[in-house]
Amino acid sequence: MKPLLRKITNPFLIYVLIVLGISVPVYYVVIDGIWKSELDEHNKIIVEKTAFELNSLRLSDEKLQHSITIWNSIQPSTDIRKPGANDSGKDSIYTIEKQKSYVSHENIDRFRCLSTVVQINGAPYRFTVETNIEESIETIAAIAATTLFFFIMLVLGLLILSRRISTKVWAPFRDTVEKLKSFNLNSQHHITFQQTDTIEFHELNQSLEKLLKKNVAVYRSQKEFTENASHELQTPLAILKNKLDILLQSPNLTTEQYLQIEDMHKALSRSARINRNLLLLAKIDNSQFEHSEILRLDSLLLQSIATMLEHFEQKQLTVEKQIQPDVLSTGNSSLTEILINNLLLNAIRYSPSNNLIAIQLNKTHLEISNPGEVALDSDMLFKRFSKLSKNKLGSGLGLAIVLEIAQYQGWTVQYRFDNKRHIFSVQF
Amino acid sequence: MKILIIEDEEELAEGIATYLCEQQYLCEFASTLHDALDKIQLFQYDCILLDIGLPDGNGLRLLEELKKDNKQDGVIIISAKNALDDKIAGLQLGADDYLTKPFHLSELAARIYSLMRRKQFNNSNIVNINEIQINLLAKTVLANNHPVILTKKEFDLLMFFIGNKNRVISKSTLAEHLSGDIADMLDNHDFVYAHVKNLKKKLQDAGTYPYIKTVYGTGYKWEHQSDTSI
Repeated sequence: MKPLLRKITNPFLIYVLIVLGISVPVYYVVIDGIWKSELDEHNKIIVEKTAFELNSLRLSDEKLQHSITIWNSIQPSTDIRKPGANDSGKDSIYTIEKQKSYVSHENIDRFRCLSTVVQINGAPYRFTVETNIEESIETIAAIAATTLFFFIMLVLGLLILSRRISTKVWAPFRDTVEKLKSFNLNSQHHITFQQTDTIEFHELNQSLEKLLKKNVAVYRSQKEFTENASHELQTPLAILKNKLDILLQSPNLTTEQYLQIEDMHKALSRSARINRNLLLLAKIDNSQFEHSEILRLDSLLLQSIATMLEHFEQKQLTVEKQIQPDVLSTGNSSLTEILINNLLLNAIRYSPSNNLIAIQLNKTHLEISNPGEVALDSDMLFKRFSKLSKNKLGSGLGLAIVLEIAQYQGWTVQYRFDNKRHIFSVQF
Repeated sequence: MKILIIEDEEELAEGIATYLCEQQYLCEFASTLHDALDKIQLFQYDCILLDIGLPDGNGLRLLEELKKDNKQDGVIIISAKNALDDKIAGLQLGADDYLTKPFHLSELAARIYSLMRRKQFNNSNIVNINEIQINLLAKTVLANNHPVILTKKEFDLLMFFIGNKNRVISKSTLAEHLSGDIADMLDNHDFVYAHVKNLKKKLQDAGTYPYIKTVYGTGYKWEHQSDTSI
């Protein structure tokens, strides 16, 4: 993953580098060409001018010979001599490189030469002119250095500018991202994005707002549905329960019928409980509970243990308590009571008689353990309706509620199986 | 004793009336808030059973009216919602008790009984059932003028029984009454048997008539013939 800015600038920079790289030989060819043609013209002018001047002196052949010798010795870059026997009489233009004659270390110069035949006093002479021209390596080096300088300027400029512009241009986008990051479907807060004059961001924000609005609405109606459905179920359940109560009073009831009514009562209580639990979960989901109360966990726990004492005793379960005094946390006391009760009830229900239940509370965690044979699937354990035991009495929601309450209050719940014991711990 | 049942579910209202009428309560019905407001203006009731979720408004408004008119009718709220806020709001507005649907009729009867005793005797809080005398406030019991020491649960049970005289009460109903929400999560309801046994024994040791009878093996009944007052 790379930031967008680098993704855009990197190809730009590579492109600039390639273009500038190609420009170096191109510049060289162009500059060298211009230079050569200028020097060729210059050489030609020298030849013509010298020949014209020598002709206009109207010297005798002897004097002319003398002048040419002097000329040749004081003008090192030109050479006038009689053409040899095998002189073709043609002009030639060429470039040569030679060592400087007056320095000992290696110093090669490049020359542009013109060799042509001129008529002086009616006789043909081969006139050669050499003009110093910049060595190609020096030209290339100069162009490359200049190009490099401009490349660096471009890169720096591009980086600084794009960074500056991007902080400004992308500000609304970053704002949108931040708001989305902190958005929680549960909290139902309406998001409004920053105003922007960038068309793309404006469109993005508009579609996001639309999407969120719809999602929030769907989510809300779904949650309301759960809550309403549970509420609506309470009344028919109440009617059933009441009718059974009345049926129970029939004077000619047989014991068999009584037991059937009792079974119906129990099934009804279970469905009422499932319904109540679903309602509770929906309400936690809807954040309908205040959860900033200061809780005295030790006293809440002791209270719950006291309420359940007779159920511990009935199964001859020994309770081993290690409860620190003054354990405080924040949350909702009713919910916390439900959490503690569910954990305690689980321990009671799933322990064989004559066993030990250990309850430990300190500043950081609550731990409740009961004996068991094999470890339970900790992934499935806290899921709704994922009953792992064959015990048919539970609502299948007890531990889901424990998890939900813990998360709601910012706590974590863990299960582990250690030394043949199921251990549930809640970290505050 | 006159009871007004404010409930838009006819079946539910009828069920409540059937159970209560046999205990010589006189029941009247109102299925809308409008209807109910009319009735409380015209008549005096000993007890009002109030469903909060009525089709034409929130039942809590009726409590406001009663409070405004300074009426002393006892009110028990019956609600499908177990919302704590509703409960607190209701009780603050002068309701005497709060019951969440679904509930046992015997539970309702017991609550009505306690409420009526509290209202009726102008807070003297003494209930006499033949040889048994119960102080509702102090939660003490005298049998043949001798104190009977009961635990909180046994006292609860006693009140439940005398609120449902001559009614068959199943073990699961008592379990729900005694342990509330968690009853159906318990493997068995033998703890009910233990409490009932203790209560029976304590009353019999004090020389009372054996009112509590076991019926159909696991059910109970407070048999009571001589006392006609409710």
